[in-house]
Amino acid sequence: MKELVDKVFLLNRNIGEFETAELFHGIDETNLSHIEGRWRPLFELRRAQAKASGESMSDINAEDGHWNWGRKALAAISNPFLYDIFALECGGNTQALLLTCKGSTDCFSRHPEHPKADMVYVEFLATAPWNRPRLVKEPTYKGAGRVLIGTAASLSIEEELGGRIGLHSLPGAEDFYREAIGMTDLGVDKDGPHKGLRYFELPESRVSDFLAIQH
Amino acid sequence: MKRTMTLNLTEAEMNAVEQMCEQKGLSKTALVRQSLRLYKSLDDRLSLGDKVFIESADRAEKAELMVL
Repeated sequence: MKELVDKVFLLNRNIGEFETAELFHGIDETNLSHIEGRWRPLFELRRAQAKASGESMSDINAEDGHWNWGRKALAAISNPFLYDIFALECGGNTQALLLTCKGSTDCFSRHPEHPKADMVYVEFLATAPWNRPRLVKEPTYKGAGRVLIGTAASLSIEEELGGRIGLHSLPGAEDFYREAIGMTDLGVDKDGPHKGLRYFELPESRVSDFLAIQH
Repeated sequence: MKRTMTLNLTEAEMNAVEQMCEQKGLSKTALVRQSLRLYKSLDDRLSLGDKVFIESADRAEKAELMVL
């Protein structure tokens, strides 16, 4: 079951115009069928091409192609106290998905501005493969990932956590979080469940500026 | 949809709430929400028969956490 929470705009790069997208809290079978029937075949095709050309999954920004969103959705739905899942739809397709957590050991800030402060942790964020510049030659929509980071920050505000969010990035998405979003790079985890992944936070002091430039 | 409730706390309990809010930089609502999440997470695990332990910083001691 899903509920419409907002309407936003995504830039359709093919026609150079903004289109209205719908942001849902929750996902349904339609979203999962898009992932299995539309996302996964493109990931598989590019994975095979990359393997043949010697490129890594990071090179083509497809490290998350194996994620099982059906299982993630089930976890979120079965524990709404801790998890929220969002879907962004546009042009009759699922353009991006987000899974957040409001209560775990990952939900404490490491940022020097507010160490140990409670925050929302982004467990998983994925945009459709056709929206990824390094995955396809002519990506379709621009702004889907940014909208969902804004959604996580808005959820943090709604939870009275100041808009603070944190996440571990896959290597291929580090530039996006650092450069495009402007999150603070707090280094690579040396141990623990996210060992080897770089950790980013959007501190409370930057939330309002970040949200002000949302579409 | 959100619902409103009134809490009746003793002076000591309210002082503890206000102290925690100050230390954590949280509103009372946010503090109650986070506390509830922690309590429910622990209770869910304990209901399954799991045990929750607290380990000292130097890892010399490990004690089972008691949940009321």
